[in-house]
Amino acid sequence: MREAPILVVGAGPAGASAAATIAEAGLPVLLIEQRDQFGGAIHRQPAAGNDSHVWRPARHRRNWAGLMARLQACAGRIETRTETIFLGVDSEGRFLFDDRRAACVFARRPRAAIIAVGAVETIRPFPGWELPGVMSAGGAQVLLKETGRPPEGPILVAGSGALLPALAAQLAKAGNPPVAVLERGRPWNAPAALARLALSWGPMSEAAAYATTLATSRVPYRCGAIVTQAEPDGDGLKVGIRVGDQRQVLRVRHLLIHDGIEPNRTGIPLPDPDAAVPVLLAGDGREALGADAAILDGRRAATQVLARLGQATRRMRSDERGLIRARGFQAALTQALHSEPVVPAPETLICRCEGRSYAELAALAPDASAREIRLMGRFGLGACQGRFCGPMIAALRGQPLPAAIPPRWPLRPVSVAALARLTTDETE
Amino acid sequence: MKPTRFGPSLYGTNRFCMASSSPLHVAVIGTGIVGASAAHFLAAAGARVTLLDASGPAAGATGASDGAVSVASKRPGPMMDLARHARAFYVRHERDGLFRGLFHRRSTFLVARTAIEADLVTRHGADLAAAGERVVEVDRATLLARIPGLGDSVCAALEIPDDGHALGYEITQRLLATSRVDIRRNAPVSEIVMRAGRACGVLIRDEFLPADAVLVAAGIGSAPLLGLGEILIPRKGQMAVTDRATTAGPAIDGHLMAASYLAAKRGIVRDNSHIGLVIDPLMTGQFLIGGSREDHRSDHSTDAVTIAAILREALDLYPPLAARRVLRSFAGVRSASRDGLPIVGPHPHRPGVVIATGFEGDGICLGPFMGASAARLLLGERPEADLSSLSPQRLVRAEVHA
Amino acid sequence: MTSHFFWNGDPVAFQPGETIAAALLRAGLADLGQPSNVPGGRVFCGIGACQACVVAVMGAAPVEACLTPAREGLRLGSLPFVGAQHA
Repeated sequence: MREAPILVVGAGPAGASAAATIAEAGLPVLLIEQRDQFGGAIHRQPAAGNDSHVWRPARHRRNWAGLMARLQACAGRIETRTETIFLGVDSEGRFLFDDRRAACVFARRPRAAIIAVGAVETIRPFPGWELPGVMSAGGAQVLLKETGRPPEGPILVAGSGALLPALAAQLAKAGNPPVAVLERGRPWNAPAALARLALSWGPMSEAAAYATTLATSRVPYRCGAIVTQAEPDGDGLKVGIRVGDQRQVLRVRHLLIHDGIEPNRTGIPLPDPDAAVPVLLAGDGREALGADAAILDGRRAATQVLARLGQATRRMRSDERGLIRARGFQAALTQALHSEPVVPAPETLICRCEGRSYAELAALAPDASAREIRLMGRFGLGACQGRFCGPMIAALRGQPLPAAIPPRWPLRPVSVAALARLTTDETE
Repeated sequence: MKPTRFGPSLYGTNRFCMASSSPLHVAVIGTGIVGASAAHFLAAAGARVTLLDASGPAAGATGASDGAVSVASKRPGPMMDLARHARAFYVRHERDGLFRGLFHRRSTFLVARTAIEADLVTRHGADLAAAGERVVEVDRATLLARIPGLGDSVCAALEIPDDGHALGYEITQRLLATSRVDIRRNAPVSEIVMRAGRACGVLIRDEFLPADAVLVAAGIGSAPLLGLGEILIPRKGQMAVTDRATTAGPAIDGHLMAASYLAAKRGIVRDNSHIGLVIDPLMTGQFLIGGSREDHRSDHSTDAVTIAAILREALDLYPPLAARRVLRSFAGVRSASRDGLPIVGPHPHRPGVVIATGFEGDGICLGPFMGASAARLLLGERPEADLSSLSPQRLVRAEVHA
Repeated sequence: MTSHFFWNGDPVAFQPGETIAAALLRAGLADLGQPSNVPGGRVFCGIGACQACVVAVMGAAPVEACLTPAREGLRLGSLPFVGAQHA
């Protein structure tokens, strides 16, 4: 019988790093990626037929080229399945995958699993955030990287975080600078945090490059500024904004929103490094520390798996130090951009899938059970199954959305016909 | 007149006898559809009710089931008769407003895909007709006009036009929202406390909650509280829910019930790998597809092999499901009694305790009526239907003979 | 050479390797349809999580436009695309 592989889910920086580390140690790897190409969100490559590359920092280009070269060098030990979506683990320990090309679900029993499915963006909802024309900044950036083309027409970028100026600069370099970047936080009010950020040379030189681009393209970057609502307006959107006490209405074609990231954990199997089949999380999916740290974290998880399987490994103290540095940087950034949560207007949509409003969320009993929130509130019951609205609900309720126990599969909606065609690698 | 601890005698052997004129206080254990209904009708009659649940409303089988208010699926005998009462109860309360908008009449189609299944469907139809139910024979052309896209293998079908649909958690929520009852979530009851030969309250962790009477309607959690031994068998059912096929109400004009489901309900097959297939078109335009019948399984996990088997059956019966996605899989745990009949009535040797459990897969259909019946028992009134076949007394007799 | 798929019956051009989402957006199709009682579809998160860009596929189950490479001749439409499979 063929030796069972180590499963790695997600071929972004953490997954690629984990897969390379394990394959270099001589063990077989099954590498699963939901897209047709590796890269994840951060290292998303241009689509096959497109040669117009989006500008990105040299460090990122180097890092990714290095990872790809390592994967290439041990390709013989890595079984890659692209356009394949991880569906979770069933009650009998089967890891389930939806092969979208073959329209068939398959089950495997790996020796160990490293799940590196990245982060999801956080959104602070406002009336109209659900409209066509409103996109997450990360989603827009992924599209920009793939197509090399910015969206047409006026763009407004709003929310909070380091992604906002980065995306705005990339849009500007691609030929369509946004009309403005609105940052919710007021970093100048947190000088200590800013001072700590200034000590991080890599990210800060990147930030300086973005700032230069924004200045050259005359893109205003306003702090303490938020979007209060959006309404349809012909082909575009009428966006109400507030800067300090000033209210204003902007007419744009695209509104790109983003309020930070958090690990993509909803429904993901719980980490259990000591189980018979060890499960580890890696990268932004474990702790949102960014692309550079994800590479270190992928190697850390792989090393831990190798040690667990009895392979001699070197502990990488430099990796641990790198993760600690990244954590310090993220903490300072969070502190610098901190802003108090705001209670949304009652009509604000919280669950887009089922069309449920904040008023309906607020009407639930404060001690409502998971069942009540889901079935009676219909929150987390739609197609995203709470994977997207869950963090938003948790932030608004001040407590995490109670998770289904055991974690439920499928993690993503799956074709009835594909699941009916389930194949397993067992003799059942 | 408000019931007090004096007056009404508990139907059957139990009797309230404490001298006081304050309203009767009932501790109802279990906030599923049965407990919620009992609480609602007790409160409506003036009793004070504390509803206790280890988790919260509809946390058990009530929130993990299909929405069939179906006489068509019942075993011939008392269950078929009681289901007719229970369905009429829904109809009545849909009209009087209590269940308005939550109960919908819809047909059940009993469908056969082989000659043996066709025989079974015919036999079951005859039993339904004998119980007074309207049964309509449907030829394939008519059936296809009603349910476009139905699989080629379907060779015979009966329509039961008077069945209905309601979601257990919605009914539970309505019953609770329309009554003044005290709901305590995260309140697991560990013991029913007896004093001077009758129930005087319950223990919730270390807390004693005094009560004049106790209703045990805690599904599979009932058995440990009753001291009657292993009277309930957990029977897990795995199910899948799809995305919307339409946004304008149910996607198909009736509940599809395969003969394989009847075979399980009539006790013809008893096999943990057997799929009793039902395709339940929900009001949201989604489909709920079930299910397995796994005895002695009380966990809520699902496995891909079983779910895939359910979906293969479902695709054969209704191929348009190929255009749908599964949003989630889940499992409910039915509480089955040893003889397959629910357990409803006064506790055989604990005065002041009434039991309402063991509804297996029929809790949504029977629940509101049985809860109301339990309320009547607690108030010392006679239930609207003869529940003698469900009496917990039979469990004691069985023990003696065993 | 341009390839096409169909969106609610109309041809939409795409370039090789492009996702359905990228092609729809380039064609100016930001609004992916408005079923009666839930918000309309639109490309949003770009990583398959939010399920807002799910589109109906003739003869198959719906897919996330942001994850799915466009393919020649695909017949796509707004959800729920009732009756497509037994037309």
